[in-house]
Amino acid sequence: MREPVLTRRGFVTGALVTAAGVSFTLSLAGCRGKAKLPDDSEPGVELISWVVIHPDNSVTLRVPQTEIGQGVLTTIPQMLAEELEVDWSTLKSEFYDPAVNAARENVYVWTAVLSSHSAQTLFEPTQRAGAQVRTMLIRAAAARLKVPETELEAVKGSIRHKATGKELTYASVADAAAKMPIPDPKTVKLKDAGDRQLVGKAIPRRDVDAAVRGKIVYGIDFELPDMRFAAVRQSPTFGGKLRSVDKGSIKGKPGNPQVVEIKGAKVGYNGPVPEGEDPDIWAAPVKMDDAVAVVADSWWQAKTALDALAIEWDAGPHAKFSSEEYMETLAKQAREDAPVIVEAGEAKSALAKAAKTLSAEYRYPYMDPAPLEPMNCSAFVDGGEVHLWTNSQFPDDAWRIAHSLCGVSPDKAHVNILPAGGGFGRRLQNDFVHQAVQIALACKGTPVKLLLTREECVRKSYYAPITAARFEAGLDGAGNVTVWTCSVASGTSAEQSYGETRFPFQPPNVRFAYKRNPDSPLPFGWMRGVGFTQHLWMNFGFLDELRLLTGRDVPEYYRSLLNPSYIPADLEDREIAVARVRNHLKLFDFAIEKGRWNAPKGKGRGRGLAVGDTSYYPAYSSSTKAAIVDVSFDEETGLRVDHVFLAVDAGTVINPDIVHAQLEGGIAYALTTALLSEITVENGQVQQSNFHDYPILKLDQMPAVTIEILPSTEPPASIGEDAVPVTIAALVNAIADAGGPRLRSLPVTKNLAN
Amino acid sequence: MLEIEVNGTKHRLDVDPAVPLLWVLRDSLGLKGTKFGCGAGLCGACTVHVDGTAVRSCAFSVGQAAGSKITSIEGLSASGDHPVQIAWREGGVPQCGYCQPGMIMAAAAFLKNNSAPSDEEIAQGVTNICRCGTYNRIRKAIRSAAESVEDGQ
Repeated sequence: MREPVLTRRGFVTGALVTAAGVSFTLSLAGCRGKAKLPDDSEPGVELISWVVIHPDNSVTLRVPQTEIGQGVLTTIPQMLAEELEVDWSTLKSEFYDPAVNAARENVYVWTAVLSSHSAQTLFEPTQRAGAQVRTMLIRAAAARLKVPETELEAVKGSIRHKATGKELTYASVADAAAKMPIPDPKTVKLKDAGDRQLVGKAIPRRDVDAAVRGKIVYGIDFELPDMRFAAVRQSPTFGGKLRSVDKGSIKGKPGNPQVVEIKGAKVGYNGPVPEGEDPDIWAAPVKMDDAVAVVADSWWQAKTALDALAIEWDAGPHAKFSSEEYMETLAKQAREDAPVIVEAGEAKSALAKAAKTLSAEYRYPYMDPAPLEPMNCSAFVDGGEVHLWTNSQFPDDAWRIAHSLCGVSPDKAHVNILPAGGGFGRRLQNDFVHQAVQIALACKGTPVKLLLTREECVRKSYYAPITAARFEAGLDGAGNVTVWTCSVASGTSAEQSYGETRFPFQPPNVRFAYKRNPDSPLPFGWMRGVGFTQHLWMNFGFLDELRLLTGRDVPEYYRSLLNPSYIPADLEDREIAVARVRNHLKLFDFAIEKGRWNAPKGKGRGRGLAVGDTSYYPAYSSSTKAAIVDVSFDEETGLRVDHVFLAVDAGTVINPDIVHAQLEGGIAYALTTALLSEITVENGQVQQSNFHDYPILKLDQMPAVTIEILPSTEPPASIGEDAVPVTIAALVNAIADAGGPRLRSLPVTKNLAN
Repeated sequence: MLEIEVNGTKHRLDVDPAVPLLWVLRDSLGLKGTKFGCGAGLCGACTVHVDGTAVRSCAFSVGQAAGSKITSIEGLSASGDHPVQIAWREGGVPQCGYCQPGMIMAAAAFLKNNSAPSDEEIAQGVTNICRCGTYNRIRKAIRSAAESVEDGQ
């Protein structure tokens, strides 16, 4: 790592140029094969993996995350450049190289686009990396000018001698800087918050011009000379096997169609697993069924031939699976035999002593995250090397899949990251990468692009888990909650009990039970907000049911449970738990005031309130947010969501406009989830196939939105997922407040119609 | 042979007339700005103009487009400064950006027929899907583009 390395990451296909002249480059190391891969590498000196300085003094910053719309092509450069002192308008950026990340022991710290980590995890490392590079450049300039470092300063891509004004460009000292000892990241000096020039500013997204001109090269747009194109049909049932395929049935069809059988496999896990940890707790296995691909000269030819291909499937062990029946099984398990995982106080006796008790059952269906760009991946296997072009949310694992499937040494696998048309968790499962590599292995010497139809994407996704939850609580004579219990049974999934256990509105007596039923044949996948999206609305729904028994005021009633003295004295990380309760209380006050909770509402209007975070575990740096949702409800005209107010305490904000955009988008995502989304299964097959039966919110259903960010100097916290759980929770209670039904299962529109 | 005019250039194509216009634009002509989202005319990511009218090109065959003048996002304006694009840029509309070429084409065609739309008309007239949920910025950008068109800019 000490040696200066010439960047080999300059290869450009369809380089994306914004108004500011910022180019986003794709990378590719040298390649030999029948299909020639263009090599357009740009020379430069790499400094500590994060920064490349080019001879023309332009600077490329490495972005260690896939851009899926969350804005990392802007926010991560903002953090890196803050300490680097370069001209923002001339910056370039490129995605990281997973092979480099592996060879350099995870130098990019956090590379999976998962659980809203980019700002919170990379804030310190990126600023320190920028400061390290700046320090090395200053030291090189000091040696060149024979002056003490203290007489020099870094200004817009140059080192300036303060007394004489003499300047050396970064490029002129880059080679020497790369030979300097790397400063200890802990000792480099960072700016005071008040001196920041980039962090905290609503800088326009660096890709906005390319976006509005249709010039972003997404995964689906990548192309190479002599490329062939693959369409895929997967086993229609989960766990089904390919019995036979009649290759002769498409003989002579246009585009020279070739049939490739794809073997079902365990692809890997859908997230990074820390060393020594149980993968089953941190992630979920990604299983992929048998499939058949047709490869042709164009994708349309491949798809058309595939449609005509005679394929026979063995439906497998889940041929009779029904999601409706399975939900009943889960509901029964939630009632009867989910094991207790957390208990505090005396839940049983408190229930027996309660003046009043209430129980209710809540349900959550399967859902598909459904990003708009269908799954795709380009792959090229030749001469003992493998190249991938992918917008996976988990590129490190795409790289592992590439070299392990091809049986080549890890340095012979080259992963090139491209922007994605949305992700929302779906692209953490690298099934499409595995499929593309299998196809490329069958077509050695020819680059191949795999693209799935929307129907394949909906029917063979990785789904938010179907869940049933049974609540029971007791009240004292004054209506105070004295005991709260929840028992959850959930289909095959990652460990998601935090959705119930980490609800901070808890009386002293609690009991939580959780069962992961392993019998769901549908593979589990992450979906924006994950376990909190599934559970927070249930928690608030049931809490509101209790409140309605008492006739007490909403904020007062909810707040009464946010009492630090209720937190068990012997709780591990008790201080963190107390701070969390206080953060919730703070947001409560902020939201009640800014969100005009007490403003009058008209007839047929309802208002709901929820406060929450996405604190998966005590050390996770989650933002806290509050939602106030206003709806109109009428038996005749139905439901209308009028307004969503969202308050957020996200610590230091890197880019307020991007935070606003993420929260606005999160509200829309929440409304689709709550109002519209449901995947059902009959005879082992998903019943939905496209946006007519798996609808997405449209403009006419989008409410007015108001967002307030609580000013803070704390470290950055999560944002991407954060609007989703609280919006759903406030919405469901608003519907009840408007005189609508108490909704205990989603989607809302289906349940209002029934 | 089939003739279409795309962004002012005439093309004679040897393609099956049943192929959706989307794939001819993307793969025969290399115009990748028009996106594939659903293949069934449901999401609008593939919206282009055929003789000035917004059309979902994934569900519109190239045969139907024969002899027509087609405009894709690449041809909406040479320098990316159509009033809708300007409004989109200034309003910071895109998140992932994938739906936006289709959304912009839908909005441009909509404004041609209604230069001073109400919010209700915008909501009914622009029915494309944005999974990132940029709708409120879209609505605002359409209003802003309408004003700049009204002002003769």
